[in-house]
Amino acid sequence: MKRHPNDGVLRRLVDEPAGVADADREHVASCPVCSAELITARQDAAFAAETLHTAADPDVDAGWERLRVAEPVSAPRRVRARFRSPIIAGAAVAVLLAGAGAAAAGDWFPIFRTERIAPVTVHQADLMAMPDLSSWGDVEITSRPQIHQVADAAAAQKESGLALPRVADLPRGVTGGPAYQAGRRISATFTFRAAKVAAFAQGRGEATPSMPAGLDGSSFRLTAGPGAAAVWSSRQGVPSLIVARAVAPTAYSTGVPFATARDYLLSLSGLPADVAKQLRTFTADGTTLPLHVMPEEMTSKPTEVDGVPATLLTASDGVLSAVVWVRDGVVTAVAGSVSADEVLSVARGLR
Amino acid sequence: MDLALAHGGKDSVALSRRTRAARPDLEQVFRAAYPRVVAVAARVLGSRDEAEDVAQEVFLTFGRSDVPAGEALPWLSVAAAHTALNHIRTGKRRAGREQAARSHDTVVPDVADAVVAAEERRRVRAALARLPRKQAIALVLRHSGLSYTEVAAALDLSPGSVGTTVRRAESALRKELNA
Repeated sequence: MKRHPNDGVLRRLVDEPAGVADADREHVASCPVCSAELITARQDAAFAAETLHTAADPDVDAGWERLRVAEPVSAPRRVRARFRSPIIAGAAVAVLLAGAGAAAAGDWFPIFRTERIAPVTVHQADLMAMPDLSSWGDVEITSRPQIHQVADAAAAQKESGLALPRVADLPRGVTGGPAYQAGRRISATFTFRAAKVAAFAQGRGEATPSMPAGLDGSSFRLTAGPGAAAVWSSRQGVPSLIVARAVAPTAYSTGVPFATARDYLLSLSGLPADVAKQLRTFTADGTTLPLHVMPEEMTSKPTEVDGVPATLLTASDGVLSAVVWVRDGVVTAVAGSVSADEVLSVARGLR
Repeated sequence: MDLALAHGGKDSVALSRRTRAARPDLEQVFRAAYPRVVAVAARVLGSRDEAEDVAQEVFLTFGRSDVPAGEALPWLSVAAAHTALNHIRTGKRRAGREQAARSHDTVVPDVADAVVAAEERRRVRAALARLPRKQAIALVLRHSGLSYTEVAAALDLSPGSVGTTVRRAESALRKELNA
C-alpha cells in the first residue's frame, strides 16, 4: 500500500478535495489510520471555523467615506516642519563643521567621527540667517541615500547592514505593524572656494575674512548611513512612531586640519558668538555631532538610554518627542507623536 | 531621524514619510475588497468595530503603495491579518475602552452571557496571538475564504505546505481552547 499522505494533504481533503491527487484520496478512503486522522482534521477545522466566526457585514459606503476623510491632507506637513527644523539644522551644522567632501581623489584621513550628539540651542532667526554651504564653495552630493520602502525588517537589515531593534511595547495609541524603510550611504564633498567666499561677503557688504593658508580648493568629504527605519503610521497617515538607525556621520579631509576649517566656517556663519563658542567646545575633539535645537519649537534635555548618554527632544506643545543617541558609531533615534516618557520607554525597551 | 540627519536634511524622508497622492484605483479596490478585509480582521479580533479600524489602517497603507491592483486582495488580506494580530499584542490597553463601549452596545442581552462572550473572545485572541505568525495568518486567511493557492501565494508558501500549516494551527487552537 502507498505510504500515508501527510497531514497537509489530509487537511486539504477537508475543504478543497479537488486539490488532492486521486491516489491520495483513494489511499485515505481505504486506510483506517488516515481515515481516523481525517476525522480529527475535520473536527479541528470545524472547531476553528466556529471559533473564528464573527459576523462582519460592514457598511462599505460608510467605510469609504471614513477612508476618504482620513486620507492625510495637511496634518503631516505640520509634523514634518516641526521635526525637520532641528534635524536639518543638526545636519547643516554637521556638514558645516565636520566638513564635507572631496573633489580630487586623495589620501583621506578622518577628521570627524560621531561618538555622541549634543544639542546646541540656536534661535530660529539666527539659523535662518545662516548661509548655505554653497555660498562658500562647491557642494557635491556624490551618492544619495535613496530612502525607500522595503518589504520587511529582514530586507531593511539586509540593505543597511544594521539590525533594527525590536520595540518591546508600543506606546498607547500606536497600533499595527510598521512599514520599513532603508537608505544607502550618503556621501558629499565640499570644496572651499575663496572666490565664492569673497563674492558672498561682498554681497552682504562685509569685508572678506582672510582665508587660512591651504584652505582654498581644499576638500572635505562627509559620509553617513546607510540606515533603516521602522515607521508606524497613525490612522491619519502621520507617522506615529519611528525607530531609526544609521551609521553615524563621519568626515574626512585631504589634509586641512578640522579646527582650521571649523573656525573659518564659524567666522563666516553669522552665528551669535555664544553659539559659535559652544560649537567650538563641542567639536573640539571631532567626535560630537551638534544637534541644533530651536527653543521656539523644541526643548532638549540630556538623558540616558541603557547607560549611553542621549538627547531627549520635546516639542514645545508636547505633541512630539524624540530621543537620539550614538553607540559604536551607530545613531539610533526613536521619535513620535507620543510623550517624552513614552518615547524614552520605547527607547529603553528596544531589543 | 538619523536618516534625515545623515541625508543633510535634503529629503528628510525618515520622519516625514512622503505622502503620496492616493492611487486612482483606490475606491474601486476598496469597494470590492472592504468586506473581505473586515472579515479577515474580524476573525482575528472577534469584533466588527475593531476589524473596521484595522481595515481602514490597511487601506490607508495600500492607498500609498504601488501594489498592483491584481494582487490587491491577497495583499490586503495578509495585511489585515498581520495588523489585527498586532492589535492583539498591543490590545491590553484597549480592553478598558472596549469594555466601556460594550456596555452601551446591547447586542448581548444578558450580563452573564456578555461576560462569558468577552472571556471567550479574549481566550481566542490570546490563543491566536500565541501561534507562530505564519500559522495564524494561514489559518485566518483560509477560514476567510482564500483558496490554498491564494494563501500559498500570499504567504510565499508552497501550496503543499498550506494544508500542513493550517492543520497545525487548527490543532493547536483546539487543544489550547479546550484545555
